[in-house]
Amino acid sequence: MSTLILAEHEAGELRPATLSVVAAAAAIGNDIAMLVAGSNCAGVGEKAAALPGVSKVLVADDAAYEHELAENLSALVVSVAGDYTHILFAATAAGKNVMPRVAALLDVSGISDITEVKSADTFIRPIYAGNAMATVKSDDAKKIITVRTTAFDAVSDTGGSAAVESVASAGANDGVEFVGAELSSSDRPELTSAGIVVSGGRGMQNGENFAMLDEIALKLNAAVGASRAAVDAGFVPNEYQVGQTGKVVAPDLYIAVGISGAIQHLAGMKDSKVIVAINKDEEAPIFQVADYGLVADLFDAVPELSKALDA
Amino acid sequence: MKILVGVKRVLDYNVKARVKADKSGIELANVKMAMNPFDEIAVEEALRIKEAGNAEEVIAVSIGPAKSEETIRTALAMGADRGILIQTDELLEPLAVAKLLKHIVEKEQPGLVVLGKQAIDDDCNQTGQMLSALTGMPQATFASKVELDGDSIKVTREVDSGLESIRVKSPAVITADLRLNEPRYAKLPNIMKAKKKPLEVIEVADTGVDVSSGLSVVEVNEPEQRQAGVIVGSVAELVDKLRNEAKVI
Amino acid sequence: MSYQAPVRDISFVLNHVVGLADIAKLDGYEDATPEMVEAILDASAQFTGEVLAPLNWVGDQQGSQWSEAGVTTPDGWQEAYQQFIENGWGSLAFSVEYGGQGLPMCVAASVQEMWHSANMSFGLCPLLSQGAVDAIEHHASDELKAMFLPKMVEGVWSGTMNLTEPQAGSDLAAVRTSAEPEGDHFRIKGQKIFITYGDHDLTENIIHLVLARLPDAPEGVKGISLFIVPKFLINEDGSLGERNDVRCVSLEHKMGIHASPTCVMAYGDDAGALGYLVGKPHHGLIYMFTMMNQARHAVGVEGYGIAERAYQQALSFAKDRKQGKTLLGKSDDDHGIVNHPDVRRILMTMRCNIEAMRGLALECAAAFDIAGKHPDENVRVFNQRRGELLTPLVKGWSTEIGLELCSLGVQVHGGMGFIEETGAAQHLRDARIAPIYEGTTAIQANDLIGRKTARDNGQGMQELLTDMRATLTELQQSNNPDMQAVAKRFESAVGAADQSLQWMLGQNDPTLPSASSVEYLMMLGRLSGGWMSARTALVALKMKNEDGADHDYLDARVALARYYADRFLPLVDASNITITEGSESTVSLSVAQL
Repeated sequence: MSTLILAEHEAGELRPATLSVVAAAAAIGNDIAMLVAGSNCAGVGEKAAALPGVSKVLVADDAAYEHELAENLSALVVSVAGDYTHILFAATAAGKNVMPRVAALLDVSGISDITEVKSADTFIRPIYAGNAMATVKSDDAKKIITVRTTAFDAVSDTGGSAAVESVASAGANDGVEFVGAELSSSDRPELTSAGIVVSGGRGMQNGENFAMLDEIALKLNAAVGASRAAVDAGFVPNEYQVGQTGKVVAPDLYIAVGISGAIQHLAGMKDSKVIVAINKDEEAPIFQVADYGLVADLFDAVPELSKALDA
Repeated sequence: MKILVGVKRVLDYNVKARVKADKSGIELANVKMAMNPFDEIAVEEALRIKEAGNAEEVIAVSIGPAKSEETIRTALAMGADRGILIQTDELLEPLAVAKLLKHIVEKEQPGLVVLGKQAIDDDCNQTGQMLSALTGMPQATFASKVELDGDSIKVTREVDSGLESIRVKSPAVITADLRLNEPRYAKLPNIMKAKKKPLEVIEVADTGVDVSSGLSVVEVNEPEQRQAGVIVGSVAELVDKLRNEAKVI
Repeated sequence: MSYQAPVRDISFVLNHVVGLADIAKLDGYEDATPEMVEAILDASAQFTGEVLAPLNWVGDQQGSQWSEAGVTTPDGWQEAYQQFIENGWGSLAFSVEYGGQGLPMCVAASVQEMWHSANMSFGLCPLLSQGAVDAIEHHASDELKAMFLPKMVEGVWSGTMNLTEPQAGSDLAAVRTSAEPEGDHFRIKGQKIFITYGDHDLTENIIHLVLARLPDAPEGVKGISLFIVPKFLINEDGSLGERNDVRCVSLEHKMGIHASPTCVMAYGDDAGALGYLVGKPHHGLIYMFTMMNQARHAVGVEGYGIAERAYQQALSFAKDRKQGKTLLGKSDDDHGIVNHPDVRRILMTMRCNIEAMRGLALECAAAFDIAGKHPDENVRVFNQRRGELLTPLVKGWSTEIGLELCSLGVQVHGGMGFIEETGAAQHLRDARIAPIYEGTTAIQANDLIGRKTARDNGQGMQELLTDMRATLTELQQSNNPDMQAVAKRFESAVGAADQSLQWMLGQNDPTLPSASSVEYLMMLGRLSGGWMSARTALVALKMKNEDGADHDYLDARVALARYYADRFLPLVDASNITITEGSESTVSLSVAQL
């Protein structure tokens, strides 16, 4: 039994997601091999060889792999699939793009987004947007899997000493061509679709102080919101308002700063996955819905938080 | 050119999924079902391509129980020209769905297959990629913009670092991401006309496609309940918890 | 403050209680099959939930605004209206001949409920247009129909109804607006008030239906004629011509429905507004009445539509809000106020009444559908009589109860309900107009005891009681204990209603019946609601034997019927006492003593 992982890398470095996939592979318990495909990627191969638990690194160096085109990568993975019982990918945009192709070409089911390894053939994965967790068992000879990277703690990037060998390119598909990458727009994410929202309330005292929240939001790629009280006080424009009569948001992380937590505000953010409240009034109702509460003066806590995020 | 769009009947996105008491799956009896929202976007994109004069016919395909006919009718009401239902009461894995779609692709020879990037029930995100692999058509997944230029199609894709664009040759498979478009509402007169549009029903058995699967669901459980909140003592502790416990930053 | 249309509840009544499948067998309604109607309701639910409902609050806060140039609606309304007509919602029930979809009234009413729940102020525009279209379709010349109907059915032009004048409210005999003949048309002069959507920026033209007097008109209601007065004149080729001499001179500042512009309209400040006579001279009021049944039914639908919205909001709040230790909560930390028994009382009251009102409104609409298309004349006549009898109940009872329920909805929120931002208060303010316009509850009650009870010597009422007794027999034959309990209350209530009916028919002086007329209307509304509720429960019990039946849903229908019978049917007996024994005391004080 052995596991093959398709490494993801960028600018000569392994992406952190791949370190989490190694952790998932370790949980399965097989020998682990890693496939590094790219253009001029020998350096990445060496870094892969240093990962603990990885016993073999395969390097396919070809311009065909420069842009992670799924057609080319899947052909390569299938060409080296050999006896591996498990082939793992990170559940990233790139991994999700390739994994199902590999599964289909090998005529086995794909297993998406596992969050837990129960045994070598049994896994847990979220369905219905995480409202239920399915335990699935695979009887296929090969288990083709994407791994939800946040569910597995990344392994360290040193300590291993795997053998590195190069493998032949499986060639390029001429039906598809990479045109270009567009830089992630520097604009703030939109309030209702942002993964993280930082909101300020009346405790912010004035509009200028919202610059402190902007600073944090920039670091977290978050949107900035506000309570009705802050909007009514003229600190920020209407479109910032989160709440019953404003926008309803449900980000992965909601940070409420200087917001007491009136019912109307809670109605607009209570479905957020993780709620953080920073308020100096420990009786503030916002603490009743917060996963993490910090009783502190926001004018001390927010600059400190901003600094901590740089670390 | 013909465009094939896949439409899946799923639990309505407004309805909260409830795990069945016997843990065999999600309660689907007597709950509101609707078209997978990503498939609505796929239908919309296909219709826009047709309305721009780049396609002659939009065919909506669904694979599922007889009731999936309603989902096809919804696509027809939006403007699709005809429907094909591959009927089965079994829950099929994406691989089986991709094989059945391939069967239809071989029969209909579409210039473009547009699917939702994933269904909001099993959240697999596999079918489009599998169909591409099985047919040899190139894939352009997670599309946020589709531009046609003859048989060359430029697709802007949503990737983790932002956007990238690729060019694929028709026939190709495109899977729709959320921001590709905003689907139209079905117009009342079109809802009524949809009833008269052709809808072919095929039994899975008659396709000759092997839909067996090596994957089985052992059980389905509720996710772990949210833990009671804690008061942290410092900013450092807060950041540590967010990074290492909640893993949200 | 989101809204999700109760498609399942609506479909249940249509399919299993009022017999949509039978209506779909009538010539002309073939398209209204249960599957088709389900698809229509789903699409309407999506549109109303996603487009109309989010504009309800902004509509309330901004309101429509008047300026010299004309009335402007709140932000986002023009786009929403454009989508509304592009999607064909305005033309649901209109005849296919003029571009409508020709669907039955019971289906149209089901869709209209969603408009009013989502956004009552918005729903009023198409509601008024519908009244105007009906009047033109039934009474105007072919030429006028061709000139106005296609655009009105499409919704590109809206319609209004101009009855009220400062001195002529409920008493239309006092109408003074004049119409002078001039060639093939007339010049209209006068002032109309309370004109809903009299001016706005949603459509390119507005078609006013105006009651006015010809120079030779006799006094009173028999001298009133009906005219079409377009905001913009129509050229020969159908394009819009010059501005007519009609304008909105001000907007009322109202308690609710702020986005629905309530206009003071000035006709003929200059040369006189050019108008076209509808039908024959002096028949205006009769024509108005044909569309009034329709409009009154629609306002009744509005009554429970707004209550449905208030219910959804109250329920959602009650599940979220935690206060105190609850008696019905399953665990110590389950303190949602929904688990306080009195909050349950309020929510049950709202829910069972909404379902009863919806049942009655759809039963009434179905009667009109059958009356319009059934091949057997006896069946048509019977159903017309039934529809006309139920109309004042649908309008009067549903709007009064709808208002009470919106008030209860505020109550669920406690102090937060009194705060505008919570949104519960808007529903209450909006709902307040429904028992007033399109004829106050007293006008409905007057119609009920006069035209609908005394004029046919109680025939329609007796037919209704006979049908109710058939349901009673079914209830009594059921071995379900809840149904037996309902039977007991229902039997008593039907008997009480019959006594009140006999008392009404036995009075020679109209004063006492008039003093008790609203009591009589509310009594019959409650009784009819209980009848619908019991029928729904009987069907639900039968359906429980089917394969794959949703017991949870069906049991709830039985429980709601039981609660309705325990809580509201006894009020029918109480009303009978008030009517038969308390009418005299109602008017026993002199004006000076009041």
